[in-house]
Amino acid sequence: MKPATFSYAAPRTVEEAIELLEAYGDDAKVLAGGQSLVPLLNMRLAQPKVLVDINAVEGFDEIVEEEGFVYVPMRVRHVQGERSPLLREKLPVVSEAVHQIGHPQIRNRGTMCGSVAHADPASELPAVLMALDGRIVVKSGDGEEQITPEDFFLTYLTTSLQPGQLVTALRFPLLPPNSSAAFVEFAQRPGDFALCGVAAYLHLDEGGTIAEARLALMGVGGTPFCAEQAEAVLQGERPSAALFAEAAETVSQEVDPDSDIHASAEYRRHLAKVLIPQALEMAAARLGEER
Amino acid sequence: MVIPVETATITVTVDGRPYTATVEARKTLADFLREECGLTGTHLGCEHGVCGACTVLLNDSAVRSCLTFAIQADGQEVMTVEGLAAPDGTLHPIQQAFWENHALQCAFCTSGFLMTTYAFLKENPNPSEEEIRETLTGNICRCTGYQNIVAAVADAAARLRGEKHTQPVGGV
Amino acid sequence: MSAPIATRPQFAGQRIKRLEDPRFLTGHGQYVADIQLSGTVHVAFVRSNYAHAHIKGINAEEARKDPRCFAVLTGAELAQAKVFLPGAQNAPLPALAIDEVCYVGQPICAVVATDRYAAEDLAETIEVNYDPLPAVVDTLAATQPNAPKANLAFPTPGNVFFHMEHATDGIDDLFADPQVVVVRQTFRTQRQTGMPMETRGIVASWEPGTASLTVYAATQMPHGLRDTLAAALHLSQSKVRVISPDVGGGFGMKAPVYPEDVVVSFLAQQLGRPVKWISDRREGILADTHARDGLHIAEAAFSKDGLFLGLRDHMISPAGAYPLGLSGAVAETVLATLVLPGPYKVQQYAWQIDGVLTNTTPTGTYRGVWGPAATWVQEGMIERAARQLGIDRVEIRLKNMVRKEEFPYHSVAGVVYDPGSYQESLQLAMEKIGYAGFEEERRQAAAQGRTLGLGIACFIEPTAMGVMGDEPLTVPNDVASIRIEPSGQVIAQVGISSHGQGHETTVAQLIADQLGVDVQNVTVLHGDTAAVPYGGGTGGSRSITIGGGAAILAAQELRQKVLQIAGHLLEAAPEDLEIADSTIQVKGVPGRTVTLAQVAQTAYMLPQKLPQGVEPGLEATKRYTPPPITFSNGCHAAVVEIDRATGAVKVLRYVVVEDCGKMVNPMIVEGQITGGVAQGVGSAFLEQLVYDENGQLMTTTWMDYLMPESTDAPKVDFGHIETPSQNPGGMKGMGESSLIASPTALVSAVEDALGVWVGALPLTPQRVLALAEGRQEDAGA
Ligand SMILES: Cc1cc2nc3c(=O)[nH]c(=O)nc-3n(C[C@H](O)[C@H](O)[C@H](O)COP(=O)(O)OP(=O)(O)OC[C@H]3O[C@@H](n4cnc5c(N)ncnc54)[C@H](O)[C@@H]3O)c2cc1C
Ligand code: FES
Ligand code: FES
Repeated sequence: MKPATFSYAAPRTVEEAIELLEAYGDDAKVLAGGQSLVPLLNMRLAQPKVLVDINAVEGFDEIVEEEGFVYVPMRVRHVQGERSPLLREKLPVVSEAVHQIGHPQIRNRGTMCGSVAHADPASELPAVLMALDGRIVVKSGDGEEQITPEDFFLTYLTTSLQPGQLVTALRFPLLPPNSSAAFVEFAQRPGDFALCGVAAYLHLDEGGTIAEARLALMGVGGTPFCAEQAEAVLQGERPSAALFAEAAETVSQEVDPDSDIHASAEYRRHLAKVLIPQALEMAAARLGEER
Repeated sequence: MVIPVETATITVTVDGRPYTATVEARKTLADFLREECGLTGTHLGCEHGVCGACTVLLNDSAVRSCLTFAIQADGQEVMTVEGLAAPDGTLHPIQQAFWENHALQCAFCTSGFLMTTYAFLKENPNPSEEEIRETLTGNICRCTGYQNIVAAVADAAARLRGEKHTQPVGGV
Repeated sequence: MSAPIATRPQFAGQRIKRLEDPRFLTGHGQYVADIQLSGTVHVAFVRSNYAHAHIKGINAEEARKDPRCFAVLTGAELAQAKVFLPGAQNAPLPALAIDEVCYVGQPICAVVATDRYAAEDLAETIEVNYDPLPAVVDTLAATQPNAPKANLAFPTPGNVFFHMEHATDGIDDLFADPQVVVVRQTFRTQRQTGMPMETRGIVASWEPGTASLTVYAATQMPHGLRDTLAAALHLSQSKVRVISPDVGGGFGMKAPVYPEDVVVSFLAQQLGRPVKWISDRREGILADTHARDGLHIAEAAFSKDGLFLGLRDHMISPAGAYPLGLSGAVAETVLATLVLPGPYKVQQYAWQIDGVLTNTTPTGTYRGVWGPAATWVQEGMIERAARQLGIDRVEIRLKNMVRKEEFPYHSVAGVVYDPGSYQESLQLAMEKIGYAGFEEERRQAAAQGRTLGLGIACFIEPTAMGVMGDEPLTVPNDVASIRIEPSGQVIAQVGISSHGQGHETTVAQLIADQLGVDVQNVTVLHGDTAAVPYGGGTGGSRSITIGGGAAILAAQELRQKVLQIAGHLLEAAPEDLEIADSTIQVKGVPGRTVTLAQVAQTAYMLPQKLPQGVEPGLEATKRYTPPPITFSNGCHAAVVEIDRATGAVKVLRYVVVEDCGKMVNPMIVEGQITGGVAQGVGSAFLEQLVYDENGQLMTTTWMDYLMPESTDAPKVDFGHIETPSQNPGGMKGMGESSLIASPTALVSAVEDALGVWVGALPLTPQRVLALAEGRQEDAGA
C-alpha cells in the first residue's frame, strides 16, 4: 500500500499555489491535511501527477471574524475549529460538529476546508455549512467567488471545483439574535463516519414562532441533503415536540438514501427520523437558554 | 513558479537528532523513519489512517505518520517512541505505567498508544476515564481489550502530576 | 502425573510484570518488518480481481524490462519447479495460480524490485487476461446440485468436499417422543478474520555457501512452517531455519503456511539474496485466512422438567476456494463435535458436517475456532428451553451441569472432562453480575424508559491437546531445554512461540520457582528452529500447559542434579538442602551454603569434584505429553442497555469467572481475558467480512471492517476459581475461552432485553432495531 510516483511542490503563497494548479490542471491535486487524500494515494485509488501542498502557504491559519461572518481559512485544522474560543462562543455548533470528526490524530492534521473540498457525503462540515447558510470561498486566476453549498456539492466526492481552483476559506454567517443551531449524529463507533447526521438551524420571530428553519442531513445521499419540505413544515409554527415529530416524519419521506454495507436505506431513513427531533430540540433548548 | 520535484534532499530532526536523506516525494514519514533513520519503533498497521500504530509527534502534535509524507516534514521536528525514555535508558513515566499495568501484549500497537498518550497528557493532565477512552479511539489494539491501557494512562497521568501512582494491576 | 511442588513457590501465581516489555516500550521490539538484511529486495503480488476465472495469459513485459525489476514469477514457473503447498485430500495448492483463479485476492504473480514502492509500480503494469467463470459465493447455494463448481481442479465432484456424521442409538426415538419438548434454531456466524495489528510478513535469505535457507516470518508455528517450506522447496529440514521474531499477534490467523511464504522463500533461493514481503492491510484482508461463517442447524430435546436430553446439529461450513491443511470448514466443525454438549450432561447426540468449497478466501482458524459457535448453540438451546418451559435460566443450567463429584466425566461426545467448577463458576458469576436483583433493576430502568438485558454464557474450553487419534492437528507434546550457565544464569529453550502471550515471563516464573533463582535470571528463548528443539508453537491454548509443563519437568530434573552436586560439595544429603536466591543451603544451617554459580562451575569445569556417576554439565531437556484434553471452564455474564430508537447496544457491566486451573500469572490471565472479551464485542456487534454476489470482498479496509475501539470494550470484573489440572503445575489453557464465551453472553443479553431470539451475527444497530420492532426477517434470524 504505497503511493504511485508524484511530483511535489510546496508554494508559499496562494498565488503560487493557484499558478501551479492552473499549470498542471487535471494532473494536480491540492494536498491539505492529507487525512482523506493520502489513504487514497496509498491505495493507489488516486494517482495525481502533481501534489500542491498548501501547508507551507503563509497565513490562512487563523479563524477570524469580519463584518458579521466567521472565516475559516484553508490551513485551519480540525483541532483549531474544535477549540477556537471564537467559534465556541459565536458558533458552538461548528466546534461541536468538528469534535465528532474522526479521532484526535486526524483532527490534529486534517483541515476544515479540506473536509468540505473532499465532499464525503458522510462528513459533518458540509451539512453544518448548509444548515448555517455558509459559503465556500473559492479562488482561482479569475478571482474569488463565494459558492453556496447547494451549488458546490454535486455528488459523492465531487464538487464544482475546477482545475486551478482552490478553496481558501469557509464563511459562516454569525447567528442573528433569536436563532440557534445544533448538530447530532449517529455512528457505530465514535470516530467513524456517521451513518446519519443532522444539522438544524432555528430562527424565531419576536412572538416565538419559527421565522426560518434550516435542516441539513448527512449520510443520506451523495451530497448533504437540504430538507426543504420539513423546513416548510416548521416555518411559521411554534416549536413543540409534536411539530418536530411532524418535521421528522416529513424528512423521512423526503430523503432517498442509498444502501451500502454499513446500513440499509431504510435504516438511514429511520435514523434521520430519530435524529431530526433531537437536533431541533437541542437548538430550541439553546434558544431557551439565551432568553 | 515553484517547480514540482519527484525527489528531494530533506533534513528532519527526529528525537532531537537531524537526519538528512534524499527521498522520493511519495515516501511516507513512517517509511522515512523506519528505513532512512532506522527507527523501527514506529509501526504500520493499516497505512490508511485508522489504527494509530504509526502515531508520532510532528511539531508536538500527534499525527499519523502513514498519512504524512517525509518531504512535508523537511525542516521540522518529529518525536518517536525511541525518544521517550531518558538518554540513560530510564523509562518515561508513561512507559513505566504501561509496563506496570500490563498494557501491552503483542506490543505492535504500543508505540502508537504511548505517543498518543504523551501528547494527550500534556494537554489534559488530569483526564477522566471517559476522556481517556475517547482519546484512545484513534488507536486500535487487538490484544488487550483496552482495560489495562486505560488504567495505564490514568496511572501515567497521576505519576506525571507527581502523585503517588494509582494501584497497578501488576507490580513486582 | 502430579509434580512435587517446589519448596518455595515465589513467582508462580504472582502478578509479575513482564520481562519482555522493556524492549517493546522503547520501540526496540524486532518484528519481521524491522528485519533489515543488506541487499534485500522486495516483493509485491499481483492478485486476482475475479472470484473465478481462467487465466488466459499474463503480460509482464513492461515490468521485466524495468531496471528496478529483479524477477517476475508466475505459477507456471513454480509448477515447473514442482513447488506446491500441501493441501487437504492430497490436492496440492498452487502457491501462485496456474490457470484458474478461485477467489479475489489469490496471488497470481510475484514481482521483485528494489523496494516496495517500486514493486507496487511494477505490479500495476502486469496485465492478466481473465476469462471469467461462474462463481458461487454463498455457502448454502454452493451445496446445491446445480451450483457451479468453485474450484475446477479440486478432485471432488461437487462443492461439498467433506462430510461426516454421527448419531447415538436412540436419538430419533427421543426426538419423536411426544413427552419431550424440542427447541430449534439456526445459528449463523458471520465471516471474520483474526486481524492481528501486525500483518503477515516474511524475509527469506539464501546462503549459497551452506545451500540453506533462513526465514524470518510472523508465524505462530516456526517448526510447522519449517517443515512445510522444506517439503515444498524439496530441501532437507536441516537446511531450513525459521525464526519467528517478535510477532504482533496471531489469533490463529498466523498458524497456517501461506502461498506467499513459499513464493518468497523460492525467490530467495533463486535470486541468492534476501527477499522481503510485508503484507499490506488490504491484501491481508483479502488473503489472510478468514474464519467462522458457519451455519448450525440445531435442535435440542428437553424433558418437561428441564433435563437436557438430546442435541442434534447440522453444521455447514465454508472452506473458501481451497481447503487448507487445517481448513476452517474442518477445524470449526470437527472440534465443535467434541464439545457441543458443553458443561451439560446431554445423553443423546447427533451431528452432521458438510464442508463446502466457495469462491471466497480460504478459511482457517481464529481464536476459539469451534468454540464461539458451539457455545452459542449449547447456551442458545438451554435459553430457549428455559423460556419455553418457564424455568429459571440459572436453575436449568445448574440442573444439567456436571457436578463436582461427577468428574472425571465421560461426555456423550466421547471425551473426558477433567475436574472443573461448572456450577460454582455460574453461581459466582451470577453473584457478581447481580442476577438476584436484576429483575428489580430492569423494572426500575424500564420505568425510566431504558431497556436492559442480562446475558449468560457458561463455557468449557478444551485446551492443550495431547494425543488424539492418528492424524494430530497439532504437535501433541512440547519441549523445554534448560541449562544453567557457569554464572548461574538460566537459559531455557522452548518449543512454544509467543506472539503476545508473555511466555518469556510465565515460563521463567515456573523455572525460577523450581531452581530457586530470581525470575530475572531466567532467559526464555523461543521461535527459532535452529535454537530450540522441535515444538508445536502456540495455538489451541496449549502453551502454558504443555510448554510450561515441559519446563517444570526439565527444571525439576535440573534441580535434582543441582542438589546432588551441592550435597556433594557441602557434604550433606540432597534431601537436607534448600535453594533460594541462587544459593543452596543446608536446611537450618545458615553458614553452610554454596551458590548456584559454584555448582554450575563445578559441573562444567571441575568434573573431578562431581559425585560418583554424575555427568558433567548442567542441562536438561524434557518433553511433556498432556492428557488428550485439559478442560478449562467458566462463565461470562453481561448487562446491556439497548437504545430502542437506534438499536445501539451499550455494555453496562461484564463479569468473567474463569477456572483455568493454577494461574501462573493472574495479570496475564486477565489480560488475555479482557482482550478476548473485546474481540467478542467485535463478533457480537461490529465485525463482518462481506462479499457481494460476484465474490468481490466489500470490506477491505479498516474503515469497513470495524474492530472494537476503546469506547466499545467493556470493563471486565473478574472472578477466579482454581481447580488444578493433572498437568505439572496444575495449569489449564485459557487463551481462547474469553472469545469462546463473550459473543454468546452479549447476544444472550440482547435476547433477554428484547425478548427475542437471535440467529445471525453481527448484531449491528440496524439488526437490533429490526429485532426490537419484531422484524425477524430483517434481523437475519
Ligand atoms: C480514520 C479517519 C476517520 C475520519 N473520520 C472522519 C469523520 O468522521 N468525518 C469527516 O468529516 N472526516 C473524517 N475523516 C476525514 C478527515 O476529516 C479529513 O481531514 C478531511 O476529510 C479532509 O481534509 P484534509 O485537510 O485532510 O484534506 P486532504 O486529505 O489533504 O484533501 C482531501 C481532498 O480535498 C482536496 N482539497 C483539500 N484542501 C483543498 C483546498 N483548500 N482547496 C481545494 N481542494 C482541496 C484535496 O485535493 C483532496 O482531493 C477521517 C479520516 C480518517 C483517516
Ligand atoms: S498505520 Fe497509520 S494509522 Fe494505521
Ligand atoms: S498489544 Fe497487540 S495490538 Fe495492542
